[in-house]
Amino acid sequence: MADSRLGHLADVLVSYSTGIEPGDIVLLETTPLAAPLLRELYRRVVGAGGHPQVRIGLDGAAEVLLSQGSDEQIQWVNPMRSEDFERADARIAVEASSNTRELTGVDPARQAGYSVARESLRERYLERSRAGELRSVVSAYPTTASAQDAEMSLQEYEAFVYRAGFLDRDDPVAAWRELGERLGRLSAWLCERREIRVVTEGTDLTLGVAGRTWIPCDGKENFPDGEVFTGPEESSVEGRVSFTYPATFGGRIVRGIVLRFEGGEVVEARADDGEPFLREMLAMDDGARRAGEFAFGMNEAIREFTGHTLYDEKIGGTVHLALGMSYPESGGLNRSALHWDLVCDLRSGSEVYADGELVYRNGEFLPELF
Amino acid sequence: MNDPRVVRLAQVIVEYSLEVRERQILRIDAPDVAAPLALALYRAALAAGGFPYPTIAVDGLLEILLDEGSEEQLAFVSPLQRHEIETIDALATIWSETNTRSLSRVDPGRHARFLGAQRQLSNRRWERISAGEMSWCGTLFPTNAHAQDAEMSLARYEDFVYGACHVDENDPSAHWRLVAASLRRRADDLESVRELRIVGPDTDLVVGVEGRKWIAADGRFNMPDGEVFTSPVETETEGEIRYTFPAIYHGHEVEDVRLRFEAGRVVAAEAARGDDYLRSLLDMDEGSRVLGEVAFGLNYEIDRFTRNILFDEKIGGTMHLALGSAFPQAGGANTSGLHWDMICDLRAGGEVYADGELIWKAGRFLAEAVTDPAEPVEAAERG
Repeated sequence: MADSRLGHLADVLVSYSTGIEPGDIVLLETTPLAAPLLRELYRRVVGAGGHPQVRIGLDGAAEVLLSQGSDEQIQWVNPMRSEDFERADARIAVEASSNTRELTGVDPARQAGYSVARESLRERYLERSRAGELRSVVSAYPTTASAQDAEMSLQEYEAFVYRAGFLDRDDPVAAWRELGERLGRLSAWLCERREIRVVTEGTDLTLGVAGRTWIPCDGKENFPDGEVFTGPEESSVEGRVSFTYPATFGGRIVRGIVLRFEGGEVVEARADDGEPFLREMLAMDDGARRAGEFAFGMNEAIREFTGHTLYDEKIGGTVHLALGMSYPESGGLNRSALHWDLVCDLRSGSEVYADGELVYRNGEFLPELF
Repeated sequence: MNDPRVVRLAQVIVEYSLEVRERQILRIDAPDVAAPLALALYRAALAAGGFPYPTIAVDGLLEILLDEGSEEQLAFVSPLQRHEIETIDALATIWSETNTRSLSRVDPGRHARFLGAQRQLSNRRWERISAGEMSWCGTLFPTNAHAQDAEMSLARYEDFVYGACHVDENDPSAHWRLVAASLRRRADDLESVRELRIVGPDTDLVVGVEGRKWIAADGRFNMPDGEVFTSPVETETEGEIRYTFPAIYHGHEVEDVRLRFEAGRVVAAEAARGDDYLRSLLDMDEGSRVLGEVAFGLNYEIDRFTRNILFDEKIGGTMHLALGSAFPQAGGANTSGLHWDMICDLRAGGEVYADGELIWKAGRFLAEAVTDPAEPVEAAERG
């Protein structure tokens, strides 16, 4: 039973996001749950003359490793993985979880150790991405586990996922190019600003962005996409932020996170639920207490919170702030094994100021600015 | 997935077959449908101090490559695969399928070219195994597709598979160590034989084995296992053989194969069904008409034909004689793109003579292996 929307998704990922060309070595990474999409991707990569290299995870292996492995086993970096990131020309990674909370029972410190051990792998991968040597996109496949997080039926969730990727439109790629142009203009304008202040209930946060680059995200590295982001000045972040939405991360959930920053560092952190995990993540390394990314979610086709960061951080009318690693292309310098996106809804009772001037209200940039 | 037999199968493979040691990298090749065994292997390898990683396959990808790939894509061996085969210390392969006939309709020529290119990897793997640089074991996780081929329910097929592996017992490693000792003695006994004569219904075949080394297949490379085999002298096979069981190659079934050999080569061949396919394989290359292997199947827990060579070639009381590539470690010299195991049931009226002396009748060696009457093979039979 082929779902034609899957074919459209595969088309966009192969021809638009990664632009596969003859001779490309293409990593296709997912889980067995996404097999229907994987087959469509595989077919299109072969059709484009590429060499697909399939990397499929085994359900349950992460939990076994983190709960039963020795420290040495947890920190072991598979040389095959390093070689993948060294050699591949393109990578299409598709998240497809059978249980988004499967790691809730493991020791967060061991989980942090796992991430820290893989930092060099991630850095090399980002380095090659930046140099244009590795074109990489992260996407997701609708599973019942994700539908459950979204509190939807699978059918409703599928409709949500495909709508978020503009795959219900006649020409999805044209729609992504159009959004890309709009976000490009917004980014250019934001690049001229020095300071952003976000005010909403429970939140009054100021970030310095002078000299930093804002990046428009148009479906090349995330799919779906739709955000503009930068790396804030490392010691500039001041104030308090309450994250509206629960944050799903590393196979568990943390609810009601409130952070207070001073001199760019988190000096106070609490959560209604999952606070020990939050603390463990903040203690992962020196960079984990700083904001590595600040972004505006700009995808108007994503309206609802679904508990999946890939979608939640793009909700039109939200901002997100990531603890940890910044993307060097934004000018951010923060290094960390952590990169944890936390989302704040600004669609009601909210204002954003740029260099003291009101530029955004209740989830939208003021139209008169553009 | 709480079947304790799955856990024991994983343990026997990690501890006995592969002997995974600390810091050894174990790749676990498994199709999605074999996930329970893959996870059990992963767990067992971690417990042994190894660095395991799974590589999971899903249905339908190879078919796309074979149907739609360019010649260049079919022949492509990625540098990632080359690196991997040089790097791993151990490999566990789970052969399970959800549809054993999914490739029945792909172009055989294209499939052969794909396999030809991939052979660079398998050849290198065998080189490293022979040099003692890595270990390998192939096994099977029971699925409905294999049960269907065996004409059994899944539950009965599971009993069959786990019984053949002796993982329905508490200490399968101990069992396989006993089997290994027994098979080694059997192989030693056969070492002095110059010529085997196999006599059965429509079968009277002489196979020269002088100077060849007999190898005990004792559960290290396959699980289950249980055979002794060698590669015959290339020019001495003479006479006729009729294979009672269907001969299966890459999902194609050829029924009632009859071959006539002269001076080591097949000079006449016929089959009741699949005659054309038989001929196309015989004409594959210079070595495809010559025997590459002769073997005694000695796993008496495997008592029926199930259309899966992992089990069929070990059926207690059968012999198999494979056309095509020989085993260098047995002293065999024949090379071919083909290695086609065909099985001859000798349980009813079969006899085997070694240099004129009757050594095997109705599927059993007449004498226990000479050196030790402690009958570990009998122990294996009792299960």
